[in-house]
Amino acid sequence: MSAQKDCEFLVKRARELVSDDPYAAKAWLITARTLYPADFNIQYEMYIIERNAERTSSAGRLLYDIFTNFSEQPIVWREISVITAALRSDSQEKHAQFLRGLFETLPSHVQCDMLLKVTEQCFNTLEKAEMLLLLLKRFPESVVQHGVNLGETLLEAEASENVETPVNCFRKLFVCDVLPLVMNNMDMRLPANLMQKYMLKAAEFFIGYVSRGHSPVVQIQASQDTGSLKSPSVSRGSQRYVIDGLSEKSSVVAEPWERLLDILTVVGARCEWQGDKGQRSYVDMLQRVKELCRYLPGLEGDTRSRCCSQVVICATLVLFRSAFYYVSAIQPALFQGMTGLSSGPWILVEDLSMVYSDVKTERGAEKHSHKKRKLADGREKTMSSDDEECLGKGRGRHILVNKTEMPSWSETLESFRTARESWDLLHSHDSLETGKPSDVLQYKIPSRSEFKISKLKYLHFNGQYRKALSSLHQMAAVQQPQPEQQSPSGQTSLEHNRALIQQASCHYALGEYRMACEKLLDVVSGLVPPNQEPTKTPEDQVRVKTKMRKGNDLRLLPCNSKSVLPFCLQLMLACFKLRAFTDNRDDLSLGHVVVLLQYDWPQGEQLFLKAVDKISQQGSFQYENFFNYVTNIDMLEEFAYLRTPEGGRIQLELLPNQGMLIKNPSPSLGLELNTLLLQGVQTMDRHHTVTRGITKGVKEDFRLAMERQVSRCGENLLSVLHRFCINEKIIIIQSLP
Amino acid sequence: MSDIRQSLLPRDVLSAAKELLYHLDIYFCNLVQSGRQPPQVDSKTLELVEEFILHAPKDRNTPARRMSALQELHLLEIMCSCFQEQSRDTVRQLMFSALFSLQGNQADESRMALLGKLVSMAVAVGRVPILECAATWLQRAHRVYCVRLAQVLVDDYCSMVPGSVPTLHNIHNASPRFCCQFITAVTTLYDLTTEELTPPVELLQMIVSWIQDDPRLVLVTFLNMPLSSSQPISSLDVTPLGGLVRWCVKAPLAYRRDKKLAVTNGSSESDQAVGPLFSALHLSVLQVLMLLPNIFNEKGLFGRLALLQLESLAALTSDLSRLLDQADKQTHTSSADTHALSQLVLDRLAQALQVAMASGALLCSREDLRTICSRLPHNNLLQLVLSGPVMYYNNIHTPPLAFSPHAAHSPIPSHPAHPAHTPHTPLATHPSTHPQYPAQPFMTGMPFPFRPSH
Repeated sequence: MSAQKDCEFLVKRARELVSDDPYAAKAWLITARTLYPADFNIQYEMYIIERNAERTSSAGRLLYDIFTNFSEQPIVWREISVITAALRSDSQEKHAQFLRGLFETLPSHVQCDMLLKVTEQCFNTLEKAEMLLLLLKRFPESVVQHGVNLGETLLEAEASENVETPVNCFRKLFVCDVLPLVMNNMDMRLPANLMQKYMLKAAEFFIGYVSRGHSPVVQIQASQDTGSLKSPSVSRGSQRYVIDGLSEKSSVVAEPWERLLDILTVVGARCEWQGDKGQRSYVDMLQRVKELCRYLPGLEGDTRSRCCSQVVICATLVLFRSAFYYVSAIQPALFQGMTGLSSGPWILVEDLSMVYSDVKTERGAEKHSHKKRKLADGREKTMSSDDEECLGKGRGRHILVNKTEMPSWSETLESFRTARESWDLLHSHDSLETGKPSDVLQYKIPSRSEFKISKLKYLHFNGQYRKALSSLHQMAAVQQPQPEQQSPSGQTSLEHNRALIQQASCHYALGEYRMACEKLLDVVSGLVPPNQEPTKTPEDQVRVKTKMRKGNDLRLLPCNSKSVLPFCLQLMLACFKLRAFTDNRDDLSLGHVVVLLQYDWPQGEQLFLKAVDKISQQGSFQYENFFNYVTNIDMLEEFAYLRTPEGGRIQLELLPNQGMLIKNPSPSLGLELNTLLLQGVQTMDRHHTVTRGITKGVKEDFRLAMERQVSRCGENLLSVLHRFCINEKIIIIQSLP
Repeated sequence: MSDIRQSLLPRDVLSAAKELLYHLDIYFCNLVQSGRQPPQVDSKTLELVEEFILHAPKDRNTPARRMSALQELHLLEIMCSCFQEQSRDTVRQLMFSALFSLQGNQADESRMALLGKLVSMAVAVGRVPILECAATWLQRAHRVYCVRLAQVLVDDYCSMVPGSVPTLHNIHNASPRFCCQFITAVTTLYDLTTEELTPPVELLQMIVSWIQDDPRLVLVTFLNMPLSSSQPISSLDVTPLGGLVRWCVKAPLAYRRDKKLAVTNGSSESDQAVGPLFSALHLSVLQVLMLLPNIFNEKGLFGRLALLQLESLAALTSDLSRLLDQADKQTHTSSADTHALSQLVLDRLAQALQVAMASGALLCSREDLRTICSRLPHNNLLQLVLSGPVMYYNNIHTPPLAFSPHAAHSPIPSHPAHPAHTPHTPLATHPSTHPQYPAQPFMTGMPFPFRPSH
């Protein structure tokens, strides 16, 4: 067709001229346009010349014409999508800035139209949403028409794409971009249940976001970093978190808790919550709902259910926030961006500093523990000393933390307290527990194990050991499918140990000593004993002596071999202690106790003397492992003495039948001690020679064994005890009911 | 008034002139205040002006009084401040008319001389009121005198004092009306027929930069023109568009001639600059033309006012055919070069015709164009323009941008002074009754003799 040929001719001439004489080229195109005003290529060529020269206003005018007259042309859409892509991007590149400027020259109704049409042509949900979002941000009046639809589209996309976490690109757009626009648009009438639904979606996202784990790639990086870099900012800087489908920059959500609070505030205002005049902080919020709770029984109908949902939502969010801060302090590796902040994971366990105290009082305490706990309720009690802080006001149970080991102890314990307060609040009314939002939050958010852990803490704290145990089993089941490969740095085994120790602590508290020991021995078998026995600081020794506490405090224990192994030993001791000192004779338990008492000597001196008393009363004592694991010189002396007439000629059968003494001579022993011991041995010998000729061989063995044992006094005690736990695992477990 | 004359006679030339200016000021103020409609300059006043300011001899018996150069300069200064201080436009206009309206008598020569000096001075010291009055003067005076005034300014600012171009450049800020009229006068003056009538490059650069900065500058006079007003006989065009089109179309040939001269003179410094300047100017002209449809529509003038006259274009095309013919005959050596230049000329002509027609600035049919261009050499674009666009099947509903003389508006004679040139009278009769493209009796797909062979 010759019209087309005319146009081709005109455009061709313009193109030929454009580099040498752009004015002439434009003159040609102006002429061409007057000849064929409806021809697209002519106008597009005009636009291209202006666009390539980055002349914003003239290009804008031509783009306007093209868009209004030739919106059916695919090439126009390609151009417009390039422009809108520049709008969505944050590129500072010159051409991108030009394209953004170009868009700005268009009249706003054209911008609006353009964005809408681009959106319609977009098949990728995410892009489409981003595009529509541009529209909503620029044209607030369009929020009324498109806001909720966009939100629902994103939520549908999330559902249909089967994303497994609430921290996904769709949710991010919904929560961070669409929701504020929709919520803050007062022209829109949003039903309360819809707002609550959105609120929960936002909560899921933000909580999921803060509690996000490391992505595998990052983890290696991070674990390397923590080794070499001490500064938290540096190691945090190296962590990248990218939400699938988003750029790294747009994956960052600044101040998630504050944003959640903002949304909550708007929801509160729009749902006409009680006493809600712009919450300033989560703590304020908790106070407000606490007050509200008091009026709850007097309320009825809608008002009541509205108050209930307010209480449940607010308290739950406070709970999660505090729990997050608490857990991130005690288990920093769980959350991204938290490594390097503190020494490492911590475990909440029964405080066993009383383990060396007398059995009688101990048993008394144990018997009446329930009663005592109740008595302690409502009593404000703070115990503190130089290096320890006890918290847990209002509940009588205290959490002990070594201040020097956890610098942020006060914040951590404050978080714990707030979390517990909100937990208690949530469980203070039946109507709250049955409240639907509560269920939603309970089921959806804490699906992450981190929050189960924190939940566990409360159970533990509240003495609900059985519940805690079942949660632990669940968690173990969750954690099992992803063994070692998740982290090459031994993180998992550490986590595993945590769980085991926690279980052991619960079993112990429930009186299930056998189970407790089983768990403990599992832990110990995975530990490597420290090369050197920790040098005891003077305070350490003073500490327990000067302070006698109730037995039911809790302790935050750093989760590392250095702290865990002693705790295991103490807990095992606690398990055997009661059994060993019953009226029935149980030499095996008593022997284990003696072995375990070696640790932290002379803390257990009283208890050891009690054991010696018991042996004296029995007149005999049989413990074949004695020479394998008792290397404490004081104890050896005491036992050597027991065989003497002064000691009561106690019949000691301490040698194993198989004679499996471990030869480990140590020349470091002082001469004085040696002679002292040998004298004792010799006198014993004499007595034995006189009375029991037949046991001459035995006596000789005992003497030799004692001698050898004295030479082992310098051995690493923790290695010995570690060996004890591993080699005697079966006996240990079997000796408990 | 006669008593004024008596009081002026004994005075020396300068003080008499000053006194008269003072009297005129009071007189016109009273005239305007009295509200008599419309205030006009009477002949008595004109006589006084001619006698005491322009110093035209009253009669043969009285010898002409003369002022020294210094006295004249002093008088110009007084006039400058007089116009500057007068706050009322009407009074100022009356004063200006009294002093400088051409009367067709002997005094006109001294009037023009004094006017030239006053305007040149006003340009130099930025006296906006005087420039505004001069703009009005340029709208009313015969084009010959307008051209003379423009010549004075070009001489003063472009030729005599080389570094003073920027001063003249500023007038587009000071008085766009004056600037617009100045461009019209200059394009009328320099018709590129001879070397003398080729604009100096400085002037060209200035005009190009003015129009590039603000294309609407070209239309200032037209935009400020009351709908009902009619142009005096032989005044300048309402816009410089016609002159500018002529410049751009003829430039390649005119400057080619210059180049030959320059080559013989051994200097061709400014040559490089001229080509792109005209190219840019041509584009600006087309862009200004494209502004017109909206303006016409706003004023309700679409199809009723021809800013470009077919006659002047006809003169241009016949001029071109002669020039191209000459060029063809003169140059045997570089025929390729000549061909390229003549094609550029014809491209620009075709573009100007097409865009002018489409924008409603030129009111004629394609048949008329074919007539005026019939003697021009072949050019593809011109052929295309002369034949008009082929109708699209799919764009049949798109309204044509081109003006059709058969459109609903009935054209009004825009220049009653040129009754012979009513724009709706086609130069040739066209048999077609097609409402939109009457000059084109051909339908789509039909071979057409003018269709370019691309």
